[in-house]
Amino acid sequence: MNQNYSIERGTSKIRILLAILLILVAGLAAGPLLLSANDLDHLIVLFIYIILAIAWNALAGYGGLVSVGQQAFFGIGAYAAIRLSYYGMPVYLALPLGGVAGAAAAWVASLFMLQLRGGEFAIGMWVLATLIQQLVSLDPLIQGSTGTSLLVLNHFSPAARRADTYWLTLAVLLGLLGLLFLLLRSRQGAAMQAIRDDEEAARSVGVAVAPTKRLVFVFAGFGAGMAGALWLAASITFQPGTYFGVQWTAYMIFMVLVGGIGTFEGPILGALLFFALETMFGATGVWYLIGLGAAAVGFALFAPRGIWGALEARMGWRLLPVGYRLVLVPESQHDAAASAAVQFDSHA
Amino acid sequence: MTKSNDQSRSGGSSRRQVLATGLGAAGMGAASTLLPTRRAWAGAEKKLKIGFISPRTGPLAGFGEADPFVLDLARKSLAKGLTIGGDTYEVVFLDRDTQSDPTRASQLAKDLINGAKIDMMLTTSTPEVVNPVADACEAAGMPCLSTIEPWESWYFGRGAKPGQPCPFKWSYHFCFGVEQFAQTYLSSWNGDVKTNRKVAALAPNDADGNAVRQHLFPILRKAGFDVIDPGGYEDGATDFSAQIAHFKREKCEILTTFPIPPDFTRFWRQAAQQGLTRQMKIVEVAKTGLFPSQIEVLGPLGYRIAAAAYWHPVFPYASPVSGLTSAQLATAYEHQSGHQWQQQLGASMSLIDAGIAALKASGMPTNKVALAASMGKLKTTTTVGVVDFTTGPVPHVATTILIGAQWIKSKPGSKYKLDYNTIENIEDRKVPVQAKLLPYRMA
Repeated sequence: MNQNYSIERGTSKIRILLAILLILVAGLAAGPLLLSANDLDHLIVLFIYIILAIAWNALAGYGGLVSVGQQAFFGIGAYAAIRLSYYGMPVYLALPLGGVAGAAAAWVASLFMLQLRGGEFAIGMWVLATLIQQLVSLDPLIQGSTGTSLLVLNHFSPAARRADTYWLTLAVLLGLLGLLFLLLRSRQGAAMQAIRDDEEAARSVGVAVAPTKRLVFVFAGFGAGMAGALWLAASITFQPGTYFGVQWTAYMIFMVLVGGIGTFEGPILGALLFFALETMFGATGVWYLIGLGAAAVGFALFAPRGIWGALEARMGWRLLPVGYRLVLVPESQHDAAASAAVQFDSHA
Repeated sequence: MTKSNDQSRSGGSSRRQVLATGLGAAGMGAASTLLPTRRAWAGAEKKLKIGFISPRTGPLAGFGEADPFVLDLARKSLAKGLTIGGDTYEVVFLDRDTQSDPTRASQLAKDLINGAKIDMMLTTSTPEVVNPVADACEAAGMPCLSTIEPWESWYFGRGAKPGQPCPFKWSYHFCFGVEQFAQTYLSSWNGDVKTNRKVAALAPNDADGNAVRQHLFPILRKAGFDVIDPGGYEDGATDFSAQIAHFKREKCEILTTFPIPPDFTRFWRQAAQQGLTRQMKIVEVAKTGLFPSQIEVLGPLGYRIAAAAYWHPVFPYASPVSGLTSAQLATAYEHQSGHQWQQQLGASMSLIDAGIAALKASGMPTNKVALAASMGKLKTTTTVGVVDFTTGPVPHVATTILIGAQWIKSKPGSKYKLDYNTIENIEDRKVPVQAKLLPYRMA
């Protein structure tokens, strides 16, 4: 090997993009001062969709765990928040604890669910979600499938409550993105991506598969639990059938498959797309759902890496530096900048 | 919608004319130009936006079937505007379909409140629609009037606690409740059909099921009926063999049930296969059997099923908004849609009747506090009868009547397969009784 090489995490373009992202985040944080109530309501929904998408992507994209039962944690998050607030806990403390409850439930479930593989795991999670829904329905507060409402939120003025919920949702979203970002850049992240690419191979080179999967599972449980608690804050009504409905997982799968499974940016793109489609075509009812299903199947069959995956493969785009790039510097042109960049962590 | 657009356009042109006239006559003094201008503004610019959320598609579509007709009727009736406190308002209905999805109901409500900036919300039909919408309104400070969900599910299913102050400020609900079921059931079952007073009670573990288990069954027991309750089942259950065997063993001759419609179809077919239907003398359903289509799917098993009615064309009440009597309303619907009348027709009409009455009584319909206060004091007669919020069982609730009624095979030559006759009227003696309760029998 005569070639010199260097390893870099980002390019100068990425630094510009990061600056743009920071400005965007600052703009979003100022939302309640600038935007109408209607815009805020919609942004809250969009943020929750993104949270759901990144949680499911972490699970399926990086952990290789395809679950159709993530609504279990979505429901637990909302249920825990409402239960705690009825015990007298301040509501804006109870809501984040809903996410913690989701994470705790995921940790307990991981003890036995992660023994299952592939299809068994997927269906087993659905069964678990149904079981948890039945258990929650036994709580006299929830009154079977009647449900109840988070009435304490009505003590705040509509504008204050909307702004608080918006900021909480934005903070959770950024926190989860940051956590995932750091996780992916850490040793654990390398292990996660190795498991994603080939579980057996990862095990053979000494990756601790079980603890890594558990970490991802708990992360996804926290994300879904937080999303459930935030959804409750936005809609007030808790009816178990709605929160434990399998449609939440269907939405997650759609967003991740279409956006780009196993990429950092893909689920965000998928959530934006899903949100836009719902806004435009949601009123058409059955046809909208058929369209969503068909699109998800189409992507799974013909573009398994989703929109972002395809863009990344073709253009080498990468908004956030979560991987490494190997930059080859040919001997004849020592001073030349990167003439060929090979992605170190490509999916192929 | 096109109608209202046309109106505002013509209103705009008349304003321009008035302004032109006013400018031409400017020399005659400010006062003379101001007056006509203000009147023209009143006609063209004052608008009342009313949100109307109901289920039109999905599993609850039966409830929303007549809503386009009712809304169309209301739009035509109010085309000339609504005069309140000397001002004339253009009335715009923004109707939305929840697709039977509570999540969507909540989103639609928020869109109407914050996006379309409505002045009042109307919503109807089942806890899956009404509760999320009422909660969204309560949270946003939007006056909301609703109906067709037993009031206990609306009140206690949204976090209110018995014996504690009412936690609601903006949402109001009028509907029958457990007490109305009890009265009409006791009146029907103590009538001409003699039974052993053993009641098979099949209620799911859901909002309505738990409400009747806690409140209705004890009343029936106190009235001397032996209520056999095998316990709650989950909505969507596929096998009712255990319950059927239990009811057969107890030799029940009356059935009372509160299932979602597909569950009842399944239960009743299994009951026929396993011989339960033969011992039944009175079959009293609620939540299902509201609409002809839900009984027609049962074929001959559906004849002589009784189901209390919250509205019927024989009701002696007219709609103040449309001016139609109950009989005229049913005929107009059958004529226009080609479908048999159904009871949600009257209920949806009454929701608009009560909403418009509240707007009028408020004096200041665009003032949300005034409007909510007028809902709390509302006492008016609508298509379904008297709606009186001053005498409700709990604050923010008014009760309406239920009348015993029974599905029977229609007479030869009828356009429709079934007739639905009133059989008792204990809750409102003004409602005519058309027939006597007939013992259940498979045709």
